Amino acid sequence: MADGPGGDSTLWETTAALVRAAQQGDALAMDELLTQVTPYVTRLCRPIAPSDTADAVQESLMAVFKALRGLRDPGAFYGWVRTVTVREAVRVARRTVVERPVEPDELARLGGLRTDGGTELSAEVRDVLSRLPVQYRAVLVLRELEGLDERSAAQVLGVAPGTVKSRLHRARSLFRTSWSQ
Amino acid sequence: MSTDPVTRLRVLAAGLGAGLYAEERLALPYEQVWAVAADLAGELPHLVPLLREFRVPPGDSDRKEAVAVGPLRTRDAFEVRLAPGWCLMQSGLIVGGMAAVREGDGTRFAVLGATRPSALRPVQRLYAPLLGRRRGRAFLRTVEQRARLRPGA
Repeated sequence: MADGPGGDSTLWETTAALVRAAQQGDALAMDELLTQVTPYVTRLCRPIAPSDTADAVQESLMAVFKALRGLRDPGAFYGWVRTVTVREAVRVARRTVVERPVEPDELARLGGLRTDGGTELSAEVRDVLSRLPVQYRAVLVLRELEGLDERSAAQVLGVAPGTVKSRLHRARSLFRTSWSQ
Repeated sequence: MSTDPVTRLRVLAAGLGAGLYAEERLALPYEQVWAVAADLAGELPHLVPLLREFRVPPGDSDRKEAVAVGPLRTRDAFEVRLAPGWCLMQSGLIVGGMAAVREGDGTRFAVLGATRPSALRPVQRLYAPLLGRRRGRAFLRTVEQRARLRPGA
Protein backbone atom coordinates (compact mmCIF):
# COMPACT_ATOMS: atom_id res chain seq x y z
CA MET A 1 0.00 0.00 0.00
CA ALA A 2 1.29 3.44 -0.85
CA ASP A 3 1.58 5.74 2.10
CA GLY A 4 2.70 8.80 0.25
CA PRO A 5 4.93 9.95 -2.52
CA GLY A 6 7.55 7.40 -3.40
CA GLY A 7 9.52 6.12 -6.34
CA ASP A 8 7.46 3.04 -7.18
CA SER A 9 6.02 3.80 -10.62
CA THR A 10 3.62 0.82 -10.51
CA LEU A 11 2.01 2.21 -7.36
CA TRP A 12 1.70 5.62 -8.96
CA GLU A 13 0.01 4.08 -11.99
CA THR A 14 -2.34 2.06 -9.79
CA THR A 15 -3.23 5.18 -7.86
CA ALA A 16 -3.81 7.20 -11.03
CA ALA A 17 -6.14 4.46 -12.34
CA LEU A 18 -8.08 4.49 -9.06
CA VAL A 19 -8.35 8.27 -9.21
CA ARG A 20 -9.76 8.15 -12.75
CA ALA A 21 -12.30 5.47 -11.78
CA ALA A 22 -13.29 7.37 -8.62
CA GLN A 23 -13.76 10.54 -10.66
CA GLN A 24 -16.28 8.60 -12.75
CA GLY A 25 -18.28 7.75 -9.64
CA ASP A 26 -16.89 4.25 -9.00
CA ALA A 27 -17.47 3.90 -5.25
CA LEU A 28 -15.35 0.76 -4.90
CA ALA A 29 -12.38 2.54 -6.48
CA MET A 30 -13.05 5.55 -4.26
CA ASP A 31 -13.06 3.32 -1.20
CA GLU A 32 -9.78 1.70 -2.23
CA LEU A 33 -8.25 5.11 -2.82
CA LEU A 34 -9.49 6.22 0.59
CA THR A 35 -7.83 3.21 2.23
CA GLN A 36 -4.64 3.96 0.33
CA VAL A 37 -4.41 7.66 1.11
CA THR A 38 -5.55 7.68 4.76
CA PRO A 39 -2.14 6.76 6.28
CA TYR A 40 -0.49 9.57 4.30
CA VAL A 41 -3.12 12.12 5.34
CA THR A 42 -2.76 10.97 8.96
CA ARG A 43 1.02 11.31 8.78
CA LEU A 44 0.65 14.92 7.64
CA CYS A 45 -2.09 15.83 10.12
CA ARG A 46 -0.56 14.33 13.26
CA PRO A 47 2.30 16.83 13.71
CA ILE A 48 0.27 19.82 12.48
CA ALA A 49 -2.87 19.13 14.52
CA PRO A 50 -1.64 16.88 17.37
CA SER A 51 -4.61 17.61 19.63
CA ASP A 52 -7.20 17.20 16.90
CA THR A 53 -5.66 14.63 14.60
CA ALA A 54 -8.86 12.63 14.06
CA ASP A 55 -10.83 15.76 13.15
CA ALA A 56 -8.06 17.02 10.88
CA VAL A 57 -7.85 13.65 9.10
CA GLN A 58 -11.60 13.48 8.60
CA GLU A 59 -11.91 17.03 7.34
CA SER A 60 -8.92 16.62 5.04
CA LEU A 61 -10.36 13.43 3.56
CA MET A 62 -13.76 15.10 3.10
CA ALA A 63 -12.12 18.02 1.32
CA VAL A 64 -10.02 15.70 -0.87
CA PHE A 65 -12.90 13.50 -1.98
CA LYS A 66 -15.36 16.36 -2.47
CA ALA A 67 -12.91 18.03 -4.83
CA LEU A 68 -11.54 14.88 -6.45
CA ARG A 69 -13.62 15.22 -9.60
CA GLY A 70 -11.91 18.54 -10.34
CA LEU A 71 -8.38 17.11 -10.22
CA ARG A 72 -7.13 17.31 -13.81
CA ASP A 73 -3.96 15.24 -13.54
CA PRO A 74 -4.50 11.95 -11.63
CA GLY A 75 -0.71 11.53 -11.62
CA ALA A 76 -0.48 14.60 -9.37
CA PHE A 77 -2.81 13.06 -6.79
CA TYR A 78 -0.48 12.89 -3.81
CA GLY A 79 0.92 16.40 -4.27
CA TRP A 80 -2.60 17.71 -4.47
CA VAL A 81 -3.65 15.70 -1.39
CA ARG A 82 -0.72 17.19 0.49
CA THR A 83 -1.80 20.74 -0.36
CA VAL A 84 -5.43 20.13 0.63
CA THR A 85 -4.46 18.25 3.81
CA VAL A 86 -1.95 20.78 5.14
CA ARG A 87 -4.45 23.62 4.67
CA GLU A 88 -7.22 21.67 6.39
CA ALA A 89 -4.93 20.54 9.23
CA VAL A 90 -3.78 24.12 9.87
CA ARG A 91 -7.41 25.29 9.84
CA VAL A 92 -8.47 22.59 12.32
CA ALA A 93 -5.45 23.21 14.58
CA ARG A 94 -6.23 26.92 14.73
CA ARG A 95 -9.72 26.22 16.00
CA THR A 96 -8.39 24.88 19.28
CA VAL A 97 -5.12 26.67 19.78
CA VAL A 98 -3.65 25.90 23.17
CA GLU A 99 -0.01 26.83 22.99
CA ARG A 100 2.32 26.40 25.93
CA PRO A 101 5.90 27.54 25.43
CA VAL A 102 8.52 24.84 24.97
CA GLU A 103 10.97 24.64 27.85
CA PRO A 104 14.70 24.75 26.95
CA ASP A 105 15.48 21.52 28.80
CA GLU A 106 12.80 19.71 26.82
CA LEU A 107 14.47 20.87 23.63
CA ALA A 108 17.87 19.78 24.85
CA ARG A 109 16.62 16.22 25.41
CA LEU A 110 15.70 15.78 21.77
CA GLY A 111 18.17 13.69 19.87
CA GLY A 112 16.57 13.99 16.48
CA LEU A 113 13.16 14.43 15.05
CA ARG A 114 12.75 11.26 13.09
CA THR A 115 12.36 7.77 14.38
CA ASP A 116 14.11 4.85 12.66
CA GLY A 117 11.28 4.49 10.16
CA GLY A 118 11.79 8.06 9.05
CA THR A 119 8.10 8.76 8.52
CA GLU A 120 6.66 9.10 12.01
CA LEU A 121 7.70 11.24 14.91
CA SER A 122 8.39 9.94 18.38
CA ALA A 123 5.90 10.77 21.12
CA GLU A 124 8.42 13.06 22.78
CA VAL A 125 9.10 14.99 19.60
CA ARG A 126 5.38 15.25 18.90
CA ASP A 127 4.82 16.62 22.36
CA VAL A 128 7.37 19.40 21.89
CA LEU A 129 6.21 20.03 18.35
CA SER A 130 2.63 20.36 19.51
CA ARG A 131 3.59 23.43 21.49
CA LEU A 132 5.06 25.30 18.56
CA PRO A 133 2.72 27.73 16.82
CA VAL A 134 0.73 25.94 14.13
CA GLN A 135 2.29 27.85 11.22
CA TYR A 136 5.74 26.67 12.32
CA ARG A 137 4.53 23.09 12.58
CA ALA A 138 3.15 23.23 9.05
CA VAL A 139 6.41 24.62 7.67
CA LEU A 140 8.47 21.96 9.46
CA VAL A 141 6.25 19.16 8.14
CA LEU A 142 6.45 20.39 4.55
CA ARG A 143 10.17 21.19 4.53
CA GLU A 144 11.58 18.46 6.74
CA LEU A 145 9.20 15.51 6.52
CA GLU A 146 7.93 16.08 2.99
CA GLY A 147 11.17 17.51 1.64
CA LEU A 148 9.57 20.41 -0.24
CA ASP A 149 11.68 23.41 -1.24
CA GLU A 150 10.77 26.85 0.06
CA ARG A 151 8.87 27.87 -3.06
CA SER A 152 6.70 24.72 -3.05
CA ALA A 153 6.06 24.94 0.70
CA ALA A 154 5.06 28.58 0.24
CA GLN A 155 2.60 27.60 -2.51
CA VAL A 156 0.98 24.96 -0.30
CA LEU A 157 0.63 27.39 2.60
CA GLY A 158 -0.36 30.36 0.45
CA VAL A 159 2.42 32.59 1.80
CA ALA A 160 5.55 34.22 0.38
CA PRO A 161 8.73 32.09 0.15
CA GLY A 162 10.43 34.57 2.49
CA THR A 163 7.79 33.83 5.10
CA VAL A 164 8.50 30.12 4.87
CA LYS A 165 12.19 30.85 5.28
CA SER A 166 11.74 33.00 8.37
CA ARG A 167 9.25 30.57 9.95
CA LEU A 168 11.59 27.67 9.30
CA HIS A 169 14.51 29.55 10.81
CA ARG A 170 12.46 30.33 13.90
CA ALA A 171 11.15 26.78 14.22
CA ARG A 172 14.62 25.28 13.84
CA SER A 173 16.06 27.63 16.39
CA LEU A 174 13.32 26.49 18.77
CA PHE A 175 14.30 22.91 18.31
CA ARG A 176 18.06 23.49 18.14
CA THR A 177 18.44 20.08 16.60
CA SER A 178 18.50 18.84 13.08
CA TRP A 179 15.39 17.19 11.69
CA SER A 180 17.24 14.99 9.29
CA GLN A 181 20.16 13.37 10.99
CA MET B 1 -4.62 5.74 12.36
CA SER B 2 -7.32 4.30 10.15
CA THR B 3 -10.72 5.89 9.83
CA ASP B 4 -13.63 4.06 11.46
CA PRO B 5 -16.31 2.63 9.12
CA VAL B 6 -18.84 5.42 9.76
CA THR B 7 -16.29 8.14 9.03
CA ARG B 8 -15.26 6.22 5.93
CA LEU B 9 -18.87 6.10 4.69
CA ARG B 10 -19.29 9.81 5.45
CA VAL B 11 -16.24 10.61 3.31
CA LEU B 12 -17.55 8.43 0.47
CA ALA B 13 -20.93 10.15 0.69
CA ALA B 14 -19.18 13.50 0.27
CA GLY B 15 -17.09 12.18 -2.62
CA LEU B 16 -20.07 10.68 -4.43
CA GLY B 17 -22.36 13.64 -3.71
CA ALA B 18 -24.73 11.00 -2.37
CA GLY B 19 -28.42 11.82 -2.54
CA LEU B 20 -29.08 9.74 0.55
CA TYR B 21 -26.92 9.76 3.64
CA ALA B 22 -27.97 9.53 7.27
CA GLU B 23 -26.30 8.47 10.48
CA GLU B 24 -27.57 8.15 14.00
CA ARG B 25 -26.86 6.53 17.33
CA LEU B 26 -29.14 3.54 17.86
CA ALA B 27 -29.73 2.43 21.44
CA LEU B 28 -28.97 -1.22 20.67
CA PRO B 29 -25.77 -3.24 20.93
CA TYR B 30 -23.52 -3.26 17.88
CA GLU B 31 -23.79 -7.04 17.38
CA GLN B 32 -27.57 -6.87 17.27
CA VAL B 33 -27.61 -3.98 14.79
CA TRP B 34 -24.90 -5.32 12.53
CA ALA B 35 -26.56 -8.73 12.41
CA VAL B 36 -29.39 -7.02 10.50
CA ALA B 37 -27.13 -5.10 8.15
CA ALA B 38 -24.90 -8.08 7.38
CA ASP B 39 -27.86 -10.32 6.51
CA LEU B 40 -28.19 -8.84 3.03
CA ALA B 41 -30.38 -11.55 1.49
CA GLY B 42 -32.70 -11.76 4.50
CA GLU B 43 -32.98 -8.10 5.50
CA LEU B 44 -32.26 -5.81 2.55
CA PRO B 45 -35.70 -6.37 0.94
CA HIS B 46 -37.22 -5.18 4.25
CA LEU B 47 -35.00 -2.12 4.33
CA VAL B 48 -35.07 -0.92 0.73
CA PRO B 49 -38.41 0.05 -0.83
CA LEU B 50 -39.14 -1.69 -4.14
CA LEU B 51 -36.44 -4.31 -3.63
CA ARG B 52 -38.08 -7.68 -4.04
CA GLU B 53 -35.10 -9.92 -3.57
CA PHE B 54 -31.34 -9.63 -3.03
CA ARG B 55 -29.53 -12.81 -4.04
CA VAL B 56 -26.14 -13.23 -2.44
CA PRO B 57 -23.99 -16.34 -2.88
CA PRO B 58 -23.35 -18.16 0.42
CA GLY B 59 -19.97 -18.07 2.14
CA ASP B 60 -17.80 -15.76 4.22
CA SER B 61 -16.00 -14.02 1.36
CA ASP B 62 -15.69 -10.26 1.79
CA ARG B 63 -16.13 -9.81 -1.99
CA LYS B 64 -19.29 -11.10 -3.59
CA GLU B 65 -21.41 -10.69 -6.69
CA ALA B 66 -25.07 -10.24 -5.81
CA VAL B 67 -28.23 -9.75 -7.85
CA ALA B 68 -31.00 -7.34 -6.91
CA VAL B 69 -34.47 -8.20 -8.16
CA GLY B 70 -36.90 -5.31 -8.58
CA PRO B 71 -40.71 -5.26 -8.47
CA LEU B 72 -41.05 -6.09 -12.17
CA ARG B 73 -38.46 -8.85 -11.93
CA THR B 74 -35.83 -6.47 -13.28
CA ARG B 75 -32.35 -7.51 -12.28
CA ASP B 76 -29.30 -5.49 -11.40
CA ALA B 77 -25.90 -7.09 -10.69
CA PHE B 78 -24.03 -5.73 -7.66
CA GLU B 79 -20.46 -6.01 -6.49
CA VAL B 80 -20.51 -6.30 -2.71
CA ARG B 81 -17.80 -5.63 -0.11
CA LEU B 82 -18.77 -6.91 3.31
CA ALA B 83 -16.70 -6.72 6.51
CA PRO B 84 -17.54 -6.22 10.19
CA GLY B 85 -19.20 -2.82 10.44
CA TRP B 86 -18.86 -2.19 6.72
CA CYS B 87 -20.91 -2.92 3.61
CA LEU B 88 -20.49 -1.30 0.20
CA MET B 89 -22.56 -2.39 -2.80
CA GLN B 90 -22.33 -1.10 -6.33
CA SER B 91 -24.10 -1.80 -9.62
CA GLY B 92 -23.78 0.10 -12.87
CA LEU B 93 -26.56 2.41 -11.69
CA ILE B 94 -26.57 2.51 -7.92
CA VAL B 95 -24.25 2.62 -4.91
CA GLY B 96 -25.43 1.55 -1.47
CA GLY B 97 -23.52 1.44 1.78
CA MET B 98 -23.94 0.77 5.48
CA ALA B 99 -21.49 1.25 8.34
CA ALA B 100 -21.57 0.78 12.09
CA VAL B 101 -19.32 1.37 15.09
CA ARG B 102 -19.83 0.82 18.80
CA GLU B 103 -20.74 3.98 20.67
CA GLY B 104 -20.90 3.35 24.40
CA ASP B 105 -23.48 0.61 24.86
CA GLY B 106 -25.19 1.64 21.62
CA THR B 107 -24.27 1.76 17.95
CA ARG B 108 -23.58 4.59 15.52
CA PHE B 109 -25.09 3.46 12.23
CA ALA B 110 -24.87 5.12 8.82
CA VAL B 111 -26.49 4.50 5.45
CA LEU B 112 -25.58 5.80 2.00
CA GLY B 113 -27.40 5.74 -1.32
CA ALA B 114 -26.12 7.27 -4.54
CA THR B 115 -26.71 7.08 -8.27
CA ARG B 116 -23.79 6.44 -10.59
CA PRO B 117 -24.56 7.91 -14.02
CA SER B 118 -23.20 11.44 -14.23
CA ALA B 119 -26.41 12.58 -15.91
CA LEU B 120 -28.23 11.94 -12.64
CA ARG B 121 -25.91 14.02 -10.48
CA PRO B 122 -28.01 17.21 -10.62
CA VAL B 123 -31.09 15.16 -9.70
CA GLN B 124 -29.15 13.67 -6.81
CA ARG B 125 -28.15 17.10 -5.53
CA LEU B 126 -31.80 18.14 -5.52
CA TYR B 127 -32.93 14.87 -4.01
CA ALA B 128 -30.60 15.01 -1.00
CA PRO B 129 -32.19 17.88 0.93
CA LEU B 130 -35.75 17.09 -0.18
CA LEU B 131 -36.15 13.34 0.19
CA GLY B 132 -32.71 11.86 0.86
CA ARG B 133 -32.61 12.71 4.53
CA ARG B 134 -36.14 11.50 5.15
CA ARG B 135 -35.47 8.24 3.31
CA GLY B 136 -32.22 7.85 5.23
CA ARG B 137 -33.90 8.31 8.58
CA ALA B 138 -36.66 5.89 7.58
CA PHE B 139 -33.98 3.33 6.71
CA LEU B 140 -32.37 3.76 10.14
CA ARG B 141 -35.74 3.38 11.86
CA THR B 142 -36.34 0.13 10.00
CA VAL B 143 -32.88 -1.21 10.87
CA GLU B 144 -33.65 -0.47 14.51
CA GLN B 145 -37.04 -2.21 14.31
CA ARG B 146 -35.58 -5.26 12.56
CA ALA B 147 -32.76 -5.44 15.12
CA ARG B 148 -35.29 -5.46 17.96
CA LEU B 149 -37.03 -8.42 16.33
CA ARG B 150 -33.83 -10.47 16.37
CA PRO B 151 -33.43 -13.30 18.89
CA GLY B 152 -31.70 -12.04 22.01
CA ALA B 153 -33.18 -8.57 21.62
